[in-house]
Amino acid sequence: MIKTVNLGKQYGDFWAVRDLSINLRGGEIYGFLGPNGAGKTTTILMILSILRPTMGHINLFGERLNGSRVEIRSRIGVVSEKQYFYPEMTMREYLDFFGELYQVRNRRQRIGELAERVELANVLDKRIGAFSRGMQQKVGFVRALLHEPELLILDEPVSGLDPMGIRQVRGLIEEENKRGKTVFISSHLLSEIEKLCDRVAIMNNGRLLAEDRMENLVRRLTEESELDIELAEGKPQAVEELEGLDFINGVSIDGKFLRVKVKTDRDYRLDVVQKLISRGHVPVGIQVRSMSFEEAFVTITKENISLLAKVES
Amino acid sequence: MDALKLNTIWVLAKRELRSTIYGVGIYLAIFISLIISSAILQNYLRAVSRDRMLITASPLSYPLFIATTVCAIYLALASVTSIAREKDMQTLEVLFYGPVDHTSYILSKYLKGLLSYIFIILFLAVYFAVASITSNLGLSVKFPGVLLLSLFLSSCVITFGIFVSTLTESVRTSILLFIGIVAGFIAIQVTHGMLIEMESANLSPPLIYLRNTLSIINTGVKWASPFYYLTEGMEAVSIGSVAKYTLSAVFSIIYSIIALVFSILAITKKGVKRMAGE
Repeated sequence: MIKTVNLGKQYGDFWAVRDLSINLRGGEIYGFLGPNGAGKTTTILMILSILRPTMGHINLFGERLNGSRVEIRSRIGVVSEKQYFYPEMTMREYLDFFGELYQVRNRRQRIGELAERVELANVLDKRIGAFSRGMQQKVGFVRALLHEPELLILDEPVSGLDPMGIRQVRGLIEEENKRGKTVFISSHLLSEIEKLCDRVAIMNNGRLLAEDRMENLVRRLTEESELDIELAEGKPQAVEELEGLDFINGVSIDGKFLRVKVKTDRDYRLDVVQKLISRGHVPVGIQVRSMSFEEAFVTITKENISLLAKVES
Repeated sequence: MDALKLNTIWVLAKRELRSTIYGVGIYLAIFISLIISSAILQNYLRAVSRDRMLITASPLSYPLFIATTVCAIYLALASVTSIAREKDMQTLEVLFYGPVDHTSYILSKYLKGLLSYIFIILFLAVYFAVASITSNLGLSVKFPGVLLLSLFLSSCVITFGIFVSTLTESVRTSILLFIGIVAGFIAIQVTHGMLIEMESANLSPPLIYLRNTLSIINTGVKWASPFYYLTEGMEAVSIGSVAKYTLSAVFSIIYSIIALVFSILAITKKGVKRMAGE
């Protein structure tokens, strides 16, 4: 759906994006993560042909982008971090204007349906200038969905929304994805990305640090995971009995709770439980403690920064 | 140009035209132009009652020229601010998320300008028809020709305004740039005119050099200034020269095309995203 090859954007001596190669597959929700200034918005603007790349190229819908292609952009819906409106227009006039621009059939009906979905049907005839930031964000969403785009590009889509609004927008994204739309979300809100995305790309200082499924990213960063096992009765000898196993890196006990560090090459929960039962212990609960996505993101970003610092020094 | 682009041009132009018609600016410009025209007509009528005659081939042409000039200045200012305002408000970027490209965007601004002028012409035509009947000053057969020519000439002013607007990032800068350019044109023309009037024997060598340099620059300014085409066209009408009239229309079209091409190139080069701090 979107493929960038060695994409780069340079301003003077500064590279906002450098050697970026990502691949967004049709039908997936793809998270584009990075701290502020990582180059996320610059990348999006290049994908939309609003900025011209200094190097590399972009393939959209299987076609190589060459200049500004309006017919390609007509297949994309975009929600930016901030919404910009003609303040004199009502919500209905604004959406009608974009509906006409995109040549949407039955646009009055479509506007009504989408406004209903984001719970703004009752303010359709009010001026957008008077709307709260959250309401404006939802209007931006409706505009992006009006023409039934194949690809949704969302730059910080839940920015400025209250928890209710975030839930509504998340629901909309999931619903549109279920209807077959591909979604590209750029965000710094890791929790949102974690809840929505199939795959993620992590950027920092204009470079791509990682691109994979989230669980793979986390797994790649952790050599061991921890099992918290609750025993019916805490016995210190359980520590010695488990320590001899080759897939176990360490064991400790605190009352009835055993903390077992195991390798991550496969799932060892059953092996540990069987060993405990065979030695007369009664496990009543087991929980896997692994690195959260947020911890993984911070680790990847920090590792990259220190690596770059080493290279530069 | 495909159907999608034509639709884009029409939809963008329609939105802006609606905004213009519902605004006060256009009516203010028409009002001012008609007030000035009325003052000139009143002067004519006073002359008639005082001298019992008025020697002019087409008494309504000059007031119409003045009305057209005032409205052209309004259109130029409206064009100058239009793109800069959308950049300022960052709505331009949102348009480019969709099926809008540089060419269709600039052409929509041009179409909106022309349609605004046609709207103005309707007012002017009605006013001068009523003025002719009530004042008994003859409405010459040239009058529709003048109106038609004014459309071509206003096209130059509109495209000039659009071009200036593509060079700037904010409304204030674009207005200042427009005033600066027009003031520069006028300063060159006035200085050149003054030096031409002076005899060479009275001029020092540096002033002669300045006069010669200004002569060359003035030729360029004439071609670059949209108001030059306006005065040339009106002169063609007043002397009744069909050849000059046709030439004025052709030059206006060529000027408009060149200004539009430069506008498209400028907005493509500068981009539609408002740069921070600008």
